[in-house]
Amino acid sequence: MRKYTKYEIQIIMRHSIRIFWLFARNSMRTTTQGRLGVIIFILGKVIRFAFLFFFLYFIFSKTRILKGYTLQQAALFYMIFNLIDTISQILFREVYRFRWIVVGGSLDTILLKPYHPFLRILVGGVDVLDIILLIPYTFMTFIIASQNAPTGFNSIIFLALFINALWIATSFHIIVLAVGILSAEVDHTILIYRDITSLGRFPMAIYQEPMRSIFTFIIPVGIMMSFPSEALLGALSGVNILISFVLSSVLFMFAIQSWGYALRKYQSWGG
Amino acid sequence: MITVKHITKTYKSHVQQKNLFKDIFFRQFKEKRAVHDATFHIDENEFIGFIGPNGAGKTTTLKMLAGILYPTSGSISVLNQNPFDKKKEFLKKIAFIMGQRNQLIWDLPAIDSFDLQCAVYEIEMREYKKTRDHLLSILDCGELVDKPVKTLSLGERMKMELIAGLLHRPQLVFLDEPTIGLDIFSQEAIREFIKEYQSTYKSTVILTSHYLEDVKRLAKRLIIIHKGIIVYDGSLKNIIEQYSTEKRVKITLEGHISEVKIRAIGTPLSHTHPQLIYSVKRIALPETIKKISETLPFSDLTVEDASIEEVIKTFFVEQKTEV
Repeated sequence: MRKYTKYEIQIIMRHSIRIFWLFARNSMRTTTQGRLGVIIFILGKVIRFAFLFFFLYFIFSKTRILKGYTLQQAALFYMIFNLIDTISQILFREVYRFRWIVVGGSLDTILLKPYHPFLRILVGGVDVLDIILLIPYTFMTFIIASQNAPTGFNSIIFLALFINALWIATSFHIIVLAVGILSAEVDHTILIYRDITSLGRFPMAIYQEPMRSIFTFIIPVGIMMSFPSEALLGALSGVNILISFVLSSVLFMFAIQSWGYALRKYQSWGG
Repeated sequence: MITVKHITKTYKSHVQQKNLFKDIFFRQFKEKRAVHDATFHIDENEFIGFIGPNGAGKTTTLKMLAGILYPTSGSISVLNQNPFDKKKEFLKKIAFIMGQRNQLIWDLPAIDSFDLQCAVYEIEMREYKKTRDHLLSILDCGELVDKPVKTLSLGERMKMELIAGLLHRPQLVFLDEPTIGLDIFSQEAIREFIKEYQSTYKSTVILTSHYLEDVKRLAKRLIIIHKGIIVYDGSLKNIIEQYSTEKRVKITLEGHISEVKIRAIGTPLSHTHPQLIYSVKRIALPETIKKISETLPFSDLTVEDASIEEVIKTFFVEQKTEV
């Protein structure tokens, strides 16, 4: 494999950022064409968010502690889950449309463009509507997090694990793309991903062993959704921090290998 | 420019066993050879017509040359590179335009897709504008660039697709059925455009089309593929000479001529007064023309080759009998 110089990497990065920006801008312009759809979508998201918060409040009206976590702490888990989930959806919305790109044959033309295909099929459809929701989510998370008084060190570890969570989300979505190429199946795979990650809405402590360990380290939704919150609360061990980075690296390598394998097996439908 | 040595592409597909249990748990596969042992070389600035019946392996071959599909065996060198490496410098020199595929942004005007192409291929802004305006002027469709792609007709969309695909002035252009489904006026406009583009920018073009008129009008060299095997690689002129053993003699008669006189020359292929057409063996042509001049009063006489469709049909009939 060819090694790039620092200058070449800078050029490639600049080019990629420019392409990403143009795709995001075009996606934004496409999305905002149907105003009624925009209103209904945002309304649906707000109602969903409100209902889940109501559900959390309902639980704590019956009990003061959820597996050792107070209401504020449980709310923090829920908000951080929402932040990771929303950012993933903003970035990877195009994956949801990947089946049509494969079966319609557009993937052929994408593979022949002088940029990495992930720029188009992974992050090429930035969802502007979710960006709107990200602002109140971030604000609320900040308020709830400050009530739990995290230390500076815990905040830094939180940030690292938050980025790590997005890295895991990236790997999952790349695996979905690889499965999409091999089987032209995306919808169900992405639903499985969504169902699995939704397990991380609440602290992993609410699950019994061995499910807790499976959800945390094997799948690894715990590392993705719970560890950042646990780190912010100062409840995460150094070993677990290390494991989370190692596991996400292994998952990423597996995702890249799967993508390469899928490309070699790609049959280019229709023609 | 392109060197292909003994490439084979085999597809694996699932065989239905009419038993759901077996289809899920004991799945059987069969292998279909789409391209078999193809070898050819293409030089710079050539215009190749790549033809064959449906499922012959045309598009598969093109996709292997572009690096979309991996060959099962054999080697391909395109612009001195292995196309499957998909190096940026290689991808910037090629274009793959498919008549049935859309790469423009559906909801936005074509100009937005053009601007995106400019950034993707890192075209210098002045060059981009110059090329874009030139291509738009050849196709005479400058007024279409500001309309959303979804509102364009198929022919208009294809024009925009061609411009978007060629803005970076590729050295090598793969055109897969660019005129499919278009009306005769759009077909003609696109043929003229391709011809003009190739002569202006001196690129190598490989064209597949079911409309042999496209091939006849544009390509000098023909590669024919049949059941995955390359069965002909040579000039269009040669194949016409080889397989067009008969010529069409078209006559515009003057006045009414008796059927007996007409049949004395030979049985006509068609006769709708005043147009009369004979199909004459190449070898008997001078003798027949002499006879016509002596016996039939006419205002016009032309000698034509058989149509390209008939030539290719004859070619495939012979191939079938050989296979």
